[in-house]
Amino acid sequence: MSVALAEAIWRGLALYFGFGLVTGIGVILFGLKRLAPGRLPWRVRLVILPGLAALWPVVLLRLAGVRPAEDRA
Amino acid sequence: MAAGYVIVGWNRFKRAYDGVLLAGLAAFLAAHAGAGILLAPAGQHPSEVQLLIRASGAAAFSLLTIILCIGPLARLTPRVLPVLYNRRHLGVACFAAALVHGGLVVLWYHGFSEVNAFVSLLISNPRYGSFGGFPFESLGALALLILFVMAATSHDFWNHVLGPRLWKWIHMSVYAAYGLLVGHVMLGAVQGEKGLAQAALAGGSALLVAGLHIVAGQLERRRDRAVDGPPEGEGWLDAGPAEAIPDGRAVILVPPMGERIAVFRDGAKVYAVANACRHQGGPLGEGRILDGCIVCPWHGFQYRPEDGCSPPPFTEKIPTYRTRITGGWVFVEPSPQPPGTPIAPSIAGEAG
Ligand code: HEM
Ligand code: FES
Repeated sequence: MSVALAEAIWRGLALYFGFGLVTGIGVILFGLKRLAPGRLPWRVRLVILPGLAALWPVVLLRLAGVRPAEDRA
Repeated sequence: MAAGYVIVGWNRFKRAYDGVLLAGLAAFLAAHAGAGILLAPAGQHPSEVQLLIRASGAAAFSLLTIILCIGPLARLTPRVLPVLYNRRHLGVACFAAALVHGGLVVLWYHGFSEVNAFVSLLISNPRYGSFGGFPFESLGALALLILFVMAATSHDFWNHVLGPRLWKWIHMSVYAAYGLLVGHVMLGAVQGEKGLAQAALAGGSALLVAGLHIVAGQLERRRDRAVDGPPEGEGWLDAGPAEAIPDGRAVILVPPMGERIAVFRDGAKVYAVANACRHQGGPLGEGRILDGCIVCPWHGFQYRPEDGCSPPPFTEKIPTYRTRITGGWVFVEPSPQPPGTPIAPSIAGEAG
């Protein structure tokens, strides 16, 4: 693997997860009501933060109102 | 069970489970490191960090092997079920051990290099075109990424947000991770000084996992009633005689197309619902009816057989199917009704 490719992979991952982390913190502070009913305790909010950083595209889709496939059937 | 999603409580059983898990993990690490010191050739003592790298890697790989064996074992004997219920704890422990292992490798072997440690990891062995010399660290890194996503989405919140299908799809990638790791460990063994014994151990684990899945799959196929040709030319599925379904239990149908169907008998009443639980896809047809509700054998989600809805305040819904009894034989319409559709039961013993 060339240095340029390895650096591109590194930058891509850092951008993806970095953006996800910032988005995730925003979701935890302001967006949870739209994702799950009820108030989540802070312990649970911290537990789901890594997932928010990893799966932020799906989370943004859900916030935009796109439901899981099985709910649309 | 959830109004939306679940926060599963931490009961005594779970605490004991986690206690045993942590104690086992600590004992494994100590034994592995001890063996590493004793078996090292004279004058070549591995450093503490190296011992921890190897022990944590071996712990993570062993845990993953156990995790993958539990599923098929639970189909062979129900005694394994309590371990299955909390399989996610094993998964998170596996990720934690793997993170220690991978993190230490990156810091210890690459942290002091001029370039960024992760970049150094990817380029330090350039033989990507080779088979035996392939940089096995990259396989481990990819697997670690998969394990991370799985551990990060293990809370039931994710089941709710992603939807069961996407959640299950993500968590099926554990098999890809395991394949990568078998390659990681075997190539690492061949390229390092440990050689064939470790490679054989990893290969043997992979064979064990694959073998158990094949055996359990065959057993399941035999248990599932083979669906014969369309009865009376209408395409309804043959579920066999009503009396052959044990009271409060189900037989599972595998339609030629579509999802599995669980056909329950509750006294004289016969119902058919989708076999997959909305929680994590547990096999509802292997559960039983208690207090008028189908109870999932995995974590106890409940569904009313007459409409596939979880009892209030919960909101889960599964598809239901029309049934008919002709001459004591149960037939099921192969196309599902939308989740939560009420369907009157067929009554065994009535002329139909
Ligand atoms: C960033 C990710 C990873 C990197 C950079 C990495 C790197 C390494 C290296 C350099 C070795 C050789 C260590 C030595 O012989 O001293 C090794 C061995 C090993 N790795 Fe990994 N690894 C990673 C992820 C994983 C994961 C996720 C697992 C399992 C879940 C794993 C399991 C193992 C095992 C079982 C060994 C053999 C340990 C032994 O000697 O007994 N690795 N890895
Ligand atoms: S209750 Fe968890 S899968 Fe059914």
